[in-house]
Amino acid sequence: MGNLTRNLTLAAAFVVVATAVPTLGSIYIVFMANMILMYVVLAIGLDILLGRAGQFAFAHTAFFGIGIYVTSLVNIATGMPFYLTIPIGACVAGLVGALIALPATRLKHLYLGLATFAFAEVAQWVFNNWDEVTGGANGLRFQPSQTGFGEITNDLEAYPFVLAIAVFMIWITRNLELSKLGRSMEAIKESEHAATASGISVNRTKAIAFTISAVYAGVAGGMFTLFQSYVHPDVLGFDTLVLVLSMIVIGGIGTLPGVIVGVVLLGLLPEVMRGLETYQEFIYGIILIGVLMFMPRGIWGRIMSFRESMNAEKPEAKSTASPGEAP
Amino acid sequence: MWEIYLLQGLAGGLVTGSIYALIALSLVIIYKSTQVINFAGGEIVMIASYVALFILLYTGMSYWVVVPLCAISTFIIGISFERVVLTRIQGRQAPGQSVLVAMVIATVGLSYILKGIIRPIPYADEVRTLPPMMAIDPVFIGPAVISRQDIAIFGIAVFSMIALFVFFQFTPLGRALRATADNARAAALVGIPVARMRALVWGLACGLSAIAGILIAPKILMTPDMGGLIILAFAAAIIGGFTNFPGVIVGGFALGIIENIVGLTISSNAISVTPFIVIILVLLVRPQGLFGGPSEVKKV
Amino acid sequence: MKSAKMIKSIAGLGLGLGMALVASSATAYTVGNPQGKYQDPGISDTEIVIGLHAPLSGRAKAYGVDALDAAKMWYKMINDRGGIWGRKIRIVTADDKCAPNDLVAVVKKLVTVDKVFIVHGGSCTHATIAAQEYITREKVPMVMLNAAGDAGVFPPTRYMFGSFGGTQRTVGGSLIDFVTSTLGAKKIAYLAHDDDFGASNYLAAKWAADKNGVEIVEDQRVSRKIVDVTAPMLKVRASGADVLVITTYTGPAALAVKKAHEFGIKIPIVAAVQAVPNLNAFVKNVGTKDAFKNFYYGSPLNDLTDGPKQQWIIDMFKKNYPGRNPSPFMSYGVPSAMAVAQALHNAGPNPTRESFVDAMAGLKFNTGILAGPIEFGENKRDGHNASIFLKYDGTNTSRVPGIFYNHMPAQ
Repeated sequence: MGNLTRNLTLAAAFVVVATAVPTLGSIYIVFMANMILMYVVLAIGLDILLGRAGQFAFAHTAFFGIGIYVTSLVNIATGMPFYLTIPIGACVAGLVGALIALPATRLKHLYLGLATFAFAEVAQWVFNNWDEVTGGANGLRFQPSQTGFGEITNDLEAYPFVLAIAVFMIWITRNLELSKLGRSMEAIKESEHAATASGISVNRTKAIAFTISAVYAGVAGGMFTLFQSYVHPDVLGFDTLVLVLSMIVIGGIGTLPGVIVGVVLLGLLPEVMRGLETYQEFIYGIILIGVLMFMPRGIWGRIMSFRESMNAEKPEAKSTASPGEAP
Repeated sequence: MWEIYLLQGLAGGLVTGSIYALIALSLVIIYKSTQVINFAGGEIVMIASYVALFILLYTGMSYWVVVPLCAISTFIIGISFERVVLTRIQGRQAPGQSVLVAMVIATVGLSYILKGIIRPIPYADEVRTLPPMMAIDPVFIGPAVISRQDIAIFGIAVFSMIALFVFFQFTPLGRALRATADNARAAALVGIPVARMRALVWGLACGLSAIAGILIAPKILMTPDMGGLIILAFAAAIIGGFTNFPGVIVGGFALGIIENIVGLTISSNAISVTPFIVIILVLLVRPQGLFGGPSEVKKV
Repeated sequence: MKSAKMIKSIAGLGLGLGMALVASSATAYTVGNPQGKYQDPGISDTEIVIGLHAPLSGRAKAYGVDALDAAKMWYKMINDRGGIWGRKIRIVTADDKCAPNDLVAVVKKLVTVDKVFIVHGGSCTHATIAAQEYITREKVPMVMLNAAGDAGVFPPTRYMFGSFGGTQRTVGGSLIDFVTSTLGAKKIAYLAHDDDFGASNYLAAKWAADKNGVEIVEDQRVSRKIVDVTAPMLKVRASGADVLVITTYTGPAALAVKKAHEFGIKIPIVAAVQAVPNLNAFVKNVGTKDAFKNFYYGSPLNDLTDGPKQQWIIDMFKKNYPGRNPSPFMSYGVPSAMAVAQALHNAGPNPTRESFVDAMAGLKFNTGILAGPIEFGENKRDGHNASIFLKYDGTNTSRVPGIFYNHMPAQ
């Protein structure tokens, strides 16, 4: 019973928020919503690899870039609707992810981190220098995305589709969490030895996690092309990776609501910091370290433990099962 | 004709490589003792050079005073960061991958804090350098030419490495630090205060970075973003095997020379991507580097 | 029952997606534009609202902060003199962080939330052009602050105006013109960045070299973060060039001049304006005055940065912002504000965005700050194209006679 009411309330809240966004009076809010929805997908992708599979990998921006460039180039070349171009971009990203997963899974955490970081930097250098394909340091201008019924020419028109894609990806994540694959990833994060002992193919699961993570980044890249009109390799570097990393760390690594909370908070942070721009980097570093020191499971983790401690005080919430029995 | 190029590339590469090696050593010292990849390593170098700049500009003290002062200030930064931030993070999380991830992200946070401290200062608006340590008149080594300051930089860097070696091999404190790095539990059993050792290691590594900062500032010029050169230190460390001190030193020199060779034979454009390619190649082909033993799996 | 669960799951998804599409589409298209006496936002009987943005934080802060404050200062002066056609200028400022995504966000906010009449801003080309499609689509005039703006003005588009300090094509073309005519160079070594700046200035330089019958014998591109210029400078030395042209930023340029001195390279070195924003700092960075025996650098200004012809604007800044020492980029923020104010005046007592654009396109005036006039045209959106050159010999700076231009036609 409780589950149904909870789901209905969530659904109702969702409809309210989704409708409120475009009606709140300015297209800027819709633009912010588009950005946040895109970052949600990007952040979930990184979280799958880092937070769930426990892989210390930093190549995420490379796949984001691949998604952006492939989707927009296919659009420029063929004018196919976005529900074809975005999957194409995501597939290419996933393919590259799978390719680097093969050698990457052999590396242990320090080396994996550095190798994937190096890969991301090489990718950015390629984006910057492959003038014929990516436009190089002049950036790439997009053509409007096609829907099959017309063009998407502004943030408002892009919003329903960006929202739909985000909802879809969140739904996939939820199913992934509950699936056998999701549980295998958790097991690997805890201890690779124990996981192998219980019959999980560690290398295969890691490779799949890499690929899925890259696909998410590719989808986020596709979402980018829906409401933006230009990309420059500067947005595909270490700063963006740190931003996404901070989102999942501050929000709550390994948890879906945590990641969403982190994205929203950090997405809105620049709005809050107007006037304090000079101190932005400093404040940012303080927040990051502060959360790590005092809220190791992120803000969502803090909210959860707060709720748990509240529930523990209520007598009726105590488990009625005696120890040793299944509740 | 080509020998002139190569010789010049070699000479120049040895000088910059000596500084890469120094910074790489500080990274490796921290990693060996605490398993943490210090992404703020470059910013520590940066802050040291700015502290040196301020002292030199406002007090006119000589370099003999400035170097120790800077080393002390970064020493304090290192120890404080370890005591205040890292210990707390370690205490809060269950041991495992996530605590290491958290500590590494904390170093990223430190890098932003350090950058954020320097950025608003008006001095940081322009590219700066330190007043010269000595004359930069050229010295000829065969057909190759380097400046007298370059020779001094190389000499100081090598001297620091030797001093480090002596410290770790022959002093009681150095041996205690090595013991803690090799096996913390055993060290604790023989009465070494492990927590204090960890803090000292951070302080020492950061102090070393200060020397590197003062050496490299005149060569690469100072901006709040100069910490980006940390990737060169990472590449040097990986070439050498990351846990092997002499290997890392060789890696530093090698990287300095490789950069010049790439610039001479391929293109100057490719120089910036060289350290990353090096990292990927080494990790693909021989992850333990030229000198490392079998790649470790640290059990936690 | 796995299939029941699957069906429930898919149904839930379908419902969620359906709701998302319907709810947002239904409301998305009903957001309208407020209609009033004036057909454009940002203008009323008493004020005109201008959105002013520049990098105010991060690594490009030095290019933005003083330039933005100089523009603000100019608008304040206009207001103190009574405004334009009885309207005062109200400024809304924003930090674009020199990053494409942030700049687009800032421009969208200025246009849709602050409802500005025009957008005036941008110090970084690659970030500024990210907003071009948006302002063109929404028909909002955008006047760059001090960005070079090459990709935004070539090819010209109706609503974007820029390059008040000159484009990178101006830099490249004028450099070659200068070394060929004044220094008599025949073989040129070229050191540039591997980014959009390098591409643009080299394009015009190559064109000018071909036209003048001289050869670029060595073309070296380096990253902005390069720390060791041994390799490119060795190649320069080996190329037999009789002059070295440098269009990099100041860090790599200082390293190159220093290395040239170390290698005993004695040919003249001519640096672009972006290489020497502050001569004193540059000399310190190079480390020795002996390296400047044969050194020239370009500038879009009409005098040395602190020369007599620049004093009036420096004094104005110091008066408006007491206690602050203006950075070398300060005066670059003024010409665009002059242009905006002039065009607002020329557009008459009831300007619209369209009539403002037409007025901008018809501008031709002297700033008293720059080497040449600000001039636009129906198909010309780069405002300034002139450069002077200064010689520094280690002790004194002097102006080399002549004004140099880029002659390559806009394609």
